[in-house]
Amino acid sequence: MSSTTLAEHAHVDHGHAHDDHGHHHQPWYRQYLFSTDHKVIAKQFLLSSLIFLFVGGAFALFIRWQLAYPGKPVPVIGSMMPDTWVDAPGSGIITPEFYAQLLTMHGTVMIFFVIIPFAVGMFGNFCIPLMIGTDDMALPRLNMWSFWLIPPAGLIMMSAFWVEGGYAAAGWTSYPPLSASIGNPALKLNGQALWLISLFLVGFSSIMGAVNYVTTVLNKRAKGMKMFDMPLTVWALFITAIIITLGTPVLAAALAMLFMDNFLHTSFFLPDHLVTSQKYFGGGQPVLWQHLFWFYSHPAVYIMILPLMGIVSDVMATFSRKPIYGYKAMVFAIAGIAFLGFIVWGHHMFQSGMNPLLGTTFMLSTIVIAVPSSIKVFNWLGTLWRGNIKFSSAMLNALAFVSMFIIGGLSGVFMASAPVDIYIHDTYFIVAHIHYVLFGGSLFGIFAGIYYWYPKMFGKMLSETWGRRHFFWTFIFFNLTFFPMHVLGVGGHMRRIYDPNVYDFLKGMAGLNEFITIAAIGLGFSQLILVGNILWSLKNGRKAPRNPWRANTLEWAAPAHPGHGNFDRDITVYRGPYEYSVEGRDLDYWPQWEPGKSVTVDHHTIAVADDAGETKVFGAH
Amino acid sequence: MGDILSVFDMLSWFPENISTFGQELDDLFAIIYYISVAIFFLTFGILGWFLVKYRSRPGHKGYNYHGNNIVEVTWTILPTILFAGIGLYSDDIWEKTKYSKRVPKPDVEILVLGKTYGWTFLYPGADGKFGRNAYTDRTARALMTATNPFGKDPEDPASADDFMMENQFRVPVNANVVMRGSSQDVLHSFFLPHMRVKQDVVPGTWMNIWYNAFKTGTYELACAELCGGGHYSMRAEYQVLSKADYDKWLDGKVAEVAAASAPVAEAPAADTTAAAPSN
Ligand code: HEM
Ligand SMILES: [Cu+2]
Ligand SMILES: [Cu+2]
Repeated sequence: MSSTTLAEHAHVDHGHAHDDHGHHHQPWYRQYLFSTDHKVIAKQFLLSSLIFLFVGGAFALFIRWQLAYPGKPVPVIGSMMPDTWVDAPGSGIITPEFYAQLLTMHGTVMIFFVIIPFAVGMFGNFCIPLMIGTDDMALPRLNMWSFWLIPPAGLIMMSAFWVEGGYAAAGWTSYPPLSASIGNPALKLNGQALWLISLFLVGFSSIMGAVNYVTTVLNKRAKGMKMFDMPLTVWALFITAIIITLGTPVLAAALAMLFMDNFLHTSFFLPDHLVTSQKYFGGGQPVLWQHLFWFYSHPAVYIMILPLMGIVSDVMATFSRKPIYGYKAMVFAIAGIAFLGFIVWGHHMFQSGMNPLLGTTFMLSTIVIAVPSSIKVFNWLGTLWRGNIKFSSAMLNALAFVSMFIIGGLSGVFMASAPVDIYIHDTYFIVAHIHYVLFGGSLFGIFAGIYYWYPKMFGKMLSETWGRRHFFWTFIFFNLTFFPMHVLGVGGHMRRIYDPNVYDFLKGMAGLNEFITIAAIGLGFSQLILVGNILWSLKNGRKAPRNPWRANTLEWAAPAHPGHGNFDRDITVYRGPYEYSVEGRDLDYWPQWEPGKSVTVDHHTIAVADDAGETKVFGAH
Repeated sequence: MGDILSVFDMLSWFPENISTFGQELDDLFAIIYYISVAIFFLTFGILGWFLVKYRSRPGHKGYNYHGNNIVEVTWTILPTILFAGIGLYSDDIWEKTKYSKRVPKPDVEILVLGKTYGWTFLYPGADGKFGRNAYTDRTARALMTATNPFGKDPEDPASADDFMMENQFRVPVNANVVMRGSSQDVLHSFFLPHMRVKQDVVPGTWMNIWYNAFKTGTYELACAELCGGGHYSMRAEYQVLSKADYDKWLDGKVAEVAAASAPVAEAPAADTTAAAPSN
């Protein structure tokens, strides 16, 4: 059996993958829309996140236009903009109110409809079952719902276009009393209320997905796979799922309370005697929202980056042909970040008016959390050390992740120092930090993952040439756009302001703002290359082999374009995921599913010859 | 070209500092900045070096090595020491600038209130003391209205000389100025870039804000917390005056207030509307 060839396998096992799924007999809407196949759900997340990526990007370009050219009409589409967005019909000049809506929707869409669905929804769904060698999630129907809450949530969020006052406009952090819309009569639905409902649904979606991931990882691992045989992608997604189940309910509670303040005029977050036209009971505390929000949202920044840390680790091991340096240290670092992530939320609130004593505490805990982050960086560098590095598109994006994360982590240290944060809080320094970790980190990580798993997802290879071009332009424009924002921040440039030119002390920065905007436009348009590549390769791409990167993890044991049920043979795991360049083997990789004996000497793995030898490599070509 | 290069000299972009503790904050920023630049070059140097040296080429092979605990422990402990150092050093400055018990004895005390969109200030007037208002007595919050944002109690004689300023304020140089900040509606953030001062102001609570300016001149106040469409326009100006100029200005204000409130004493019916003049 062990020497069976690939073709024979495909033949012999053909019926196996499908037998109890009835895949072929399902109507089209069960196959493509309401599918319970984790891979289809992953593709749905991919599609919706890509669409929202462009929506969020469009919002950002409006913001950038206004900052570079305040009071000038938006070019090309300015005259077509709805009357509620501009200061006079057809003028194309954005109003300050619409500007606030733009920055709110940009942040909200990017975080809740792009990064989290990509990182957790798409990769969680696609990678977990395949990488632990199983046919599907433990709870496929729940999984389907976790996706199908996203489109209505998105529509509810966007439908604010038709209500009076437009979209929510209190920032993605939505601090009350502003987000309680205190001038707004009770029972009148406004953009902010829709925002709250929408995020409530997104939260539900997250929880459903997360429960599923935890259950699946604990119960459905392939025969022989111990927890410490799991690739870091799975570890990261598993731990992220735990964060989600612990954190999201707190967000949900806060959203519900804020919704009541907004819609029913309760006073969870509103003190007595606000000077406003509406009546409230009072007795609430605005800062309470910040505690609840950040209790979720700080861990949420790790929800947005841990999965990508896992993915980047796997990509780097594969393309360096090396084991991950310090695999267990990496797992412990992820776990450490996840745990510490729950006790640092106050670093967003140094200037909020919470007791300054807490500033000390949160500063120290935040500084501690920088340690596991640096451990990860060192281990990535260690992984490259003495590797055999191949610069594929996936690898380039993974390297960008590591290097941009270094910069984002370093800017984090400035802000973690509470006294330094006094001055840079709520300036463009923060905006620079966010984008170095979330775009430079998360989004490059997402790109790495897309380039890496596209072959398994669609059975076609992406064009490497266009992949490199996309990487190249994105990397350049990204840095040109976001690095100068540190400088704006040092100059004191506040974030979320409509027109910097009203301030004398910001006058010297107009040139920089213009420069950033030009780079941002380039950055936005570079993403068309990605979409073009994805679509073009879908039709014209080279047919993907089963294991195009000669990688070790279990997803590459599945057929090139796996159907419902994933695997066409039984999977048994014989070793950890990172046995590359093992001494005593001709091939520089040793898949997890392939039998064979080895010994470990002094942190090296050495293959022990046995009769079957190399011929057993399944999926080799 | 010089302009472009100056982007890399980040420290040169700070606006001039005019407050006593501002220099310490800037120095701390500079320390972290230099450490960061060093770490940046170190890590990017190693990264670049590895990428070139270990690039794939014919005959080159990877190396199966799973890592080493001594190395792991080393690169856990070194950053811990470095970061802990930064944290402990930072905390001294943090305590000094923000801890309530470290707020210095005020030479001048001013109340500040954010509103959408603007700032109002209340000075204690001739007696140097605030009368009953939303700051000195929580229950006076019930008196807060758009025209009487501080909830000044007209019945309290000590309140009569407390005067308001709209979107500008003045402070003496080389004096400990202590402001108590709040908001009448949504959150705002009281940001004096040249003083390195920033403090969110929250309705229902009063925040301590203090500083000591060593240079006279006219500077800007900004709002740093999103408070609505007009957030960007919450600009105000303040003047740091020499002691003599400040006293002169204050005396003028006091006289003005006395003149304005004189008829009010005879016609008490009018005093609810006799909010302090503002200019
Ligand atoms: C070394 C690690 C990090 C440290 C020390 C750090 C520290 C901080 C601090 C202190 C703030 C608050 C700054 C302020 O508002 O004044 C902040 C903001 C932020 N951080 Fe980080 N951070 C780190 C890594 C990350 C990562 C990995 C992510 C996301 C993937 C992230 C995302 C964010 C976001 C989104 C904000 C801004 C939230 C807002 O106000 O809109 N950070 N960070
Ligand atoms: Cu945080
Ligand atoms: Cu504001």
